[in-house]
Amino acid sequence: MTSFLHPGAQRPGGSNSNSPPPSQQHPPHPNYGNPNALADNLQSMNLNRPNYAAPRASPFGQPPPPISSAAPSPGHWAGSQPVARPGPSPLSMITRPMGGPPSRAPPGAFIGRPMGPAGSHPPPPSSLQSSVANHVGPSPRFPVSTGGSATMPTATGVGALPFATGMVSSTPLGATQAGPVSVGPPVASGPRFGPQVGVPPPTVTSSASAPSQVPTMPPFISGPPRTAMQTAPSFSSQPQPAMVPLPGSSFVAQPWQMRPGQIDQPPPGPGAVQPPRMYALPNQSMTSISHGMAPTGASSGGPSKIDPNQIPRPIPNSTVILHETRQGDQANPPPPATSDYIARDTGNCSPRYMRCTINQIPCTADLLATSGMQLALLVQPLALPHPSEAPIQVVDFGESGPVRCSRCKGYINPFMRFIDQGRKFICNLCGFTDETPRDYHCNLGPDGRRRDADGRPELCKGTVEFVASKEYMIREPMPAVYFFLIDVSMNAMQIGATAAACSAISQVISELPEGPRTLVGIATFDSAIHFYNLKRALQQPLMLIVPDIQDVYTPLQSDVIVPLSECRQHLELLLESIPTMFENNRIAESAFGAGIKAAFLAMKISGGKLLVFQSVLPSVGIGALSARDAEGRTNISAGEKETHKLLQPADKTLKTMAIEFAEYQVCVDVFLTTQSYIDIASISVVPQTTGGQVYYYQSFSALSDTAKLYNDLRWNITRPQGFEAVMRVRCSQGIQVQEYHGNFCKRIPTDIDLPAIDCDKAIMVSLKHDDKLPDGSEFAFQCALLYTTLYGQRRIRVTTLSLSVTSMLSSLFRVADLDAQFTCLLKQAAIGIPSTPLLQVREHAINTCINILLSYRKFCATVSSSGQLILPEALKLLPLYTLALLKSVGLQPDGKIDDRSIWVNFVSSISAPLAIPLVYPRMISVHDLKTNEDESMVPSSIPLSSEHLSDGGIYLLENGDDALIYVGAAVDSGILLQLFGASTVEEIPSQFVLQQYDNPLSKKLNEVVNEIRRQRCSYLRLRICKKGSPSGMLFFSQLVEDKNQGCMSYVEFLVHIHRQIQTRMS
Amino acid sequence: MSEMAVTDPEGMDGVRMTWNVWPRTKVETSKCVIPLAVSIAPIRPHQDIPTLPYAPLRCRCTAALNPFARVDFSAKHWMCPFCFNRNQFPPHYSQISETNLPGELYPQYTTVQYSLNPATLMQPQSMDGTSQNSHPPVFLFVLDTCMIEEELGYAKSALKQAIGLLPDNALVGFVSFGTQVQVHELGFSELSKVYVFRGSKEISKDRVMEQLDLAIPGRRAVGAVNLQKGATQNGFPGSHSGITRFLLPASECQYTLDSVLDELQRDQWPVAPGSRQSRCTGVALTVAAGLLGAFPQSSGARIVALVGGPCTEGPGTIVSKDLSDPVRSHKDLDKDAAPFFKKAVKFYEGLAKQLVNQGHVLDLFASALDQVGLAEMKVAVERTGGLVVLSESFGHSVFKDSFRRVFEDGEQSLGLCSNGTLEIVCTKDIKIQGVFGPCTSLEQKGAAVSDTVVGEGGTTAWNMCGLDKSTCLTVLFDLSLGDKTSTPGTVNPQLYLQFRTSFQNLEGQNMLRVTTVTRRWIDTAVSSEDLIQGFDQETAAVVMARMASFKMETEDGFDATRWLDRSLIRFCSQFGDYRKDDPASFTLNPSLSLFPQFMFNLRRSQFVQVFNNSPDETAYFRMLLNRENISNAAVMIQPSLISYSFNSLPQPALLDVASIAMDKILLLDSYFSIVIFHGMTIAQWRNMGYHNQPEYQAFGLLLLAPHEDARVIVKERFPVPRLVVCDQHGSQARFLLAKLNPSATHSNSHDMAAGSDVIFTDDVSLQVFIEHLQKLAVQS
Repeated sequence: MTSFLHPGAQRPGGSNSNSPPPSQQHPPHPNYGNPNALADNLQSMNLNRPNYAAPRASPFGQPPPPISSAAPSPGHWAGSQPVARPGPSPLSMITRPMGGPPSRAPPGAFIGRPMGPAGSHPPPPSSLQSSVANHVGPSPRFPVSTGGSATMPTATGVGALPFATGMVSSTPLGATQAGPVSVGPPVASGPRFGPQVGVPPPTVTSSASAPSQVPTMPPFISGPPRTAMQTAPSFSSQPQPAMVPLPGSSFVAQPWQMRPGQIDQPPPGPGAVQPPRMYALPNQSMTSISHGMAPTGASSGGPSKIDPNQIPRPIPNSTVILHETRQGDQANPPPPATSDYIARDTGNCSPRYMRCTINQIPCTADLLATSGMQLALLVQPLALPHPSEAPIQVVDFGESGPVRCSRCKGYINPFMRFIDQGRKFICNLCGFTDETPRDYHCNLGPDGRRRDADGRPELCKGTVEFVASKEYMIREPMPAVYFFLIDVSMNAMQIGATAAACSAISQVISELPEGPRTLVGIATFDSAIHFYNLKRALQQPLMLIVPDIQDVYTPLQSDVIVPLSECRQHLELLLESIPTMFENNRIAESAFGAGIKAAFLAMKISGGKLLVFQSVLPSVGIGALSARDAEGRTNISAGEKETHKLLQPADKTLKTMAIEFAEYQVCVDVFLTTQSYIDIASISVVPQTTGGQVYYYQSFSALSDTAKLYNDLRWNITRPQGFEAVMRVRCSQGIQVQEYHGNFCKRIPTDIDLPAIDCDKAIMVSLKHDDKLPDGSEFAFQCALLYTTLYGQRRIRVTTLSLSVTSMLSSLFRVADLDAQFTCLLKQAAIGIPSTPLLQVREHAINTCINILLSYRKFCATVSSSGQLILPEALKLLPLYTLALLKSVGLQPDGKIDDRSIWVNFVSSISAPLAIPLVYPRMISVHDLKTNEDESMVPSSIPLSSEHLSDGGIYLLENGDDALIYVGAAVDSGILLQLFGASTVEEIPSQFVLQQYDNPLSKKLNEVVNEIRRQRCSYLRLRICKKGSPSGMLFFSQLVEDKNQGCMSYVEFLVHIHRQIQTRMS
Repeated sequence: MSEMAVTDPEGMDGVRMTWNVWPRTKVETSKCVIPLAVSIAPIRPHQDIPTLPYAPLRCRCTAALNPFARVDFSAKHWMCPFCFNRNQFPPHYSQISETNLPGELYPQYTTVQYSLNPATLMQPQSMDGTSQNSHPPVFLFVLDTCMIEEELGYAKSALKQAIGLLPDNALVGFVSFGTQVQVHELGFSELSKVYVFRGSKEISKDRVMEQLDLAIPGRRAVGAVNLQKGATQNGFPGSHSGITRFLLPASECQYTLDSVLDELQRDQWPVAPGSRQSRCTGVALTVAAGLLGAFPQSSGARIVALVGGPCTEGPGTIVSKDLSDPVRSHKDLDKDAAPFFKKAVKFYEGLAKQLVNQGHVLDLFASALDQVGLAEMKVAVERTGGLVVLSESFGHSVFKDSFRRVFEDGEQSLGLCSNGTLEIVCTKDIKIQGVFGPCTSLEQKGAAVSDTVVGEGGTTAWNMCGLDKSTCLTVLFDLSLGDKTSTPGTVNPQLYLQFRTSFQNLEGQNMLRVTTVTRRWIDTAVSSEDLIQGFDQETAAVVMARMASFKMETEDGFDATRWLDRSLIRFCSQFGDYRKDDPASFTLNPSLSLFPQFMFNLRRSQFVQVFNNSPDETAYFRMLLNRENISNAAVMIQPSLISYSFNSLPQPALLDVASIAMDKILLLDSYFSIVIFHGMTIAQWRNMGYHNQPEYQAFGLLLLAPHEDARVIVKERFPVPRLVVCDQHGSQARFLLAKLNPSATHSNSHDMAAGSDVIFTDDVSLQVFIEHLQKLAVQS
């Protein structure tokens, strides 16, 4: 194969470079060159910008303070961590060893690629270490013990450790936090990944790990614009090798561990290949519930009988995990989605791109059914990699295109087996034997692999990107087209939404990719649609009004969408004048449907992104909607059963339109800046079908939401994304794709069409057996995404995941992926909400949970005292998450229709790392932020229970989308003054804008908030909650472990589940 | 005007009749062959017409007080000559006496004009502004953009010039169109703003107004609060104030409009190869009409459309976009092979109806080498009393000069007026069949309406949304069936006709003109001599031409030549002096003698011989034929020819090929074109530049004379005729030859005088025609 170049090699044409030339996917961000541009924007937005300017300028050689990612978290947590989880099985602390791998990482890194910052970064200053060391001290929090598998035999003991997980029976931690059981961080020198059983290092040893962690930092602080980014979660790319799309800033670090799930997995390490013995017992958690007391003790007795501090809770873990996707020729179960990990592609794709609910494949459908679990994939083909991960390599096969199986059209991957001296290969997907193309032939080595396997990314990597040849193009790859459509009706003007949108667009214009292939257009609408001809040499823009909103059309063939370079000035002028031009608009009507249709017609030739800013219920024109929530309210009394219909689209008009949009590769994103009912259920159909997204600014306030609007828009435009995409998942024989769920349009059964896809979008692929699989064999999933990059290259991203097949039920439980399982559960609930009565959805969620636990109890649990609730170790948080799910907005019957709709919509494309916080938010205390540290770390989270709140505290609770700041009733006025500039709680305005005051606490708070924003890739809406007010109620409703919203408390729920299991067992 | 006074056959009444004495009965009328018809120029200015500053007195039968009323001064009564009702004079006429007559009773003032205070007729709210400004003229310009750059440039500059000529208070609006219609909101200061309407979809007036955010008069738009802002601007009351966004006083919007025109580009929509540009004239006019619909009914407004090609998009389409389909010809129309024609006509009829309802005018200026669909659009122009000019380019003087004249003030002004209504009252037994000309029937039934309907009929009142001082209507009369001869001799020997025309002049004043004419009844059974004396040959020829045109348009398979021949033969048998079967004995009374020649030329004219012209041209010619006065219409039928030579003063020449001579210059006026034709010798001399030499000054003057005369004609005429200057044997000479009687053709040219010319034709010459006529007329 002459045309092939080694992936590592530089091609003059630059199509396969995985190395610095940044042109490929994500060329240097325009803004990068001008750090102040962003800064200025931010300034004007009144954001909080710690250190914004500095890091931007030079990624390297920066002083470390801006370290904001997870890296510092070890420092922060160093002390508490081991203490916090003394319970975990001896193995559990494996995350600790994090210290080890990174030390190796920088130099060797993964492929010896010029990784830029990673390698070249100077060691962090010692100050950091010391700070880490300083905080090693035990923290009184996190007494929950989990992990170990040994149970407390004395389940009846009231005060005695009712919850125990892990192998080693843990002692109650209330007293001894530094639980000696704690696996703690392995001593740096020790066998890094070896089982740590029986080596209870003192907590303090974690300090020992600190030095070893140091090397891990470089990759993290490498993201130069880190802090700047977080203020404006722009996540713009940096001058990194092309492969790392948005390295530093955009990486979502998860400084807190959701669960100690990985505990039962040895960390990726050379030798540690999941010693079977570890699973003899460890993968279960137990809680003892006294049989008799359960019913009564539920309400009040909980705390007394079951120590709430002992029940399974997500354990924050802020260390970075190094994950190798395959070890010892076997798939390595991935770390939790929410954890901070660096994946190394050793054959399987990184779990960021594809995650299976169970990391082994049950050989029969019966086995799967018995387990109660579901088999599904979560695919996020363009997910943001960790900045330290090796970029995805681009392979160019020239005109012939990538090698594919001639029968199933599967793409070449590491699991295709070459035979017959390499002349043939057996497809791992369909089993067909294909001829090797002559110029792709290579002899096999003694190990049966091709000799060139390690040099060819497509033969050794789970994720590669192929340059698409002509046959993958129906037309020239489309240009990047951005069309902005702004509601200027009376309401939109009055609430300031139009002005906010215009200012956001105006600022974002400079972030659009440069070059002649970037086209923009703009239109406004009320009861008519106003286009603007921006291509006018002599004069101001020309406004073209399309008044016919029943049957719309585009007012110009060309010139409505023009190259950005030709119209920049006009555009800026126009955006400036739109708010004044419509200032006195008295037209209350809004023709949303007609507007998008007209814009679509203008974009039809090219396709592209249509960004709509809508502020009121679309009341006229095509697809007009009615305020059916009012009708709904009256109906609620009539029949509860019908309410879910309000969560369905009002009619098919918008759906039909959306399908047409998708056909012409137009993706619609909708920004709903509204103060009233807007019927998201109907509107969201359009983004959902076209691969777009709905942004909802409930009770829009120009004061507090303008910044978010801008940042959302900015991220929407700058995040890694592709256009005119088609995706298909292929499976090995025996299992087939049953359905896809997500934001896309499906016209033929096998493929899904995505007018646009971005790094945040995940697609759930449910699977079903249609045959028995041979035990012990390898089973592969392959997701192929054909798309066009922002810069007009056609690419095929191929993601392959190969898992082994098992016939053992216990294996399934052992390798179950909680995050994926729960994400699927969540998505299924969301799918069910609009179509089935809420009660059924809730029951289904509970039943799924119970069935899984029942199955485990029945078939796998080793200890079977009926008084004990035994949970599989991997899934021990399932009850908590299920409870949280029941309490989430979407499943609450009394929620506002739009709130529930947006929840359903949000969930439809949510990725696993964000799914968990959505239902189980993170809460941190703010009043006691440690200001003497210089890292912008997010402090450890607090369980979502009111018991953990104090009246004198201020707490921040965030779910990845929204954030609430709760101010207790008796907060020290000094702290109030520092944080809010107000001396009493009452003085804090309810239209809250976080400001930075000149004091360490305030700075720290801003840093933390910005760090969270960065992690979530979302500019959180901050709302202030005061005790006793409705906002305070809102806050308390988020405390899912409490008894609230007509639902049980966590303890009660566990009791409930336990009883259910017991009932079914007998 | 002074000229007119000298040789004005129409007099101050502006009335001409085919017969100036009327037979008594229907039977006798039909024997006259030529119908009873009156041509009236309703607002033709005349120096002697008095203007009275009050409203007329009306009889119960609606007739206005006139000199023919019998007045009883002592009893203060007057008796209506139409219905013989007795009417009491109102108190303010109490001063009346034989020596103190109001103007309308002076016997010589058969035509008087009343100037009506707007306040007496208008709704009270118009009192707010001064009466002068209460109704400024409104011009909505509609410009085609599917043209080549050069043409568009001409059109734009013509528009700019026109806007500069408008009075400051005139309201101006602008609509451009191509594939789509763009309504320019001139009152929007922030940036240029246009409303875009799709060209392919028919749109109702209400939709247009709704989509332009215009309140519909008499109906408050919901939520249209913003429209009220502009209320009372420009003297327009609130109900239609939204319109002020689109129509601004010329003084305010001239700059805006200029820049809009500067920026205006050709239609940018792509045109597939082998296709016509997509041009939605129909929708553009609908939208323009809809926009003006926001005005109250009584405000005169004109849509001035500049069209550069056929409508190919949406309603009103006249031809497909495929260039391989030619625009329909007369032949296609005859064979019913014009698939778009009927639909388009129907569409434009609807448009006409809407415009008439609103009282608005459509003026059409079409400039294209090919047809633009005038044949279809004719109805909308004609019914609204609009102007029409057809030329081959917007750069051509036919367009340029005509267009300028529309807006020019002063002596040459067209005297555009609006909101005209014509009402006719006539003596009992006289029935009105209908009207030819630029007007629409108001469907006002009455005793005077004939069962037979010709043209715009079935009514005693007509609407003329637009009219000017040369507008002329032809009313066809009939007599009631009843045999009145039996009635005793008490019958009045005179018949009366009263034409009342109310209109609004350019200054916005409401005027009413009343013309009362009387003619004598005669009993033709007794003597046809009187009848013949009262015959107006010119008028008769023109009426015949108008009737023939009308019949050709409305009657399937109508053979105009045959109908004209038969009529003429019947006419000659009826009125000629001859001995039966002796052609040589045939003579015609001098007052009839020119008629056959008119008929001969009519037979050969573009009105009858349509196959030499496109349907558009035919429609154009016919529209002008119907709206011009008799003298001009007669020129269209039978051009005038003047000969210039050294030996004599300019003198009329026979319209015959024999008039051509090498040493003469001929000036042909065929109304639509004026041809200056230089004989061969003259042309040679001129080419040698003799006229520049002082000693040949006389020659120079000779050369100038026809140009001077042509200039005078051109100046008077609208549309401006096409001026052709040509030499004998030159290619352009065909414009002259086509009109001449082919007395010398290639078949009989052997005995020709040197220097004369021949016409290559198989047409019969006048001589042959007359011979045949005589033969047939005398046949028993």
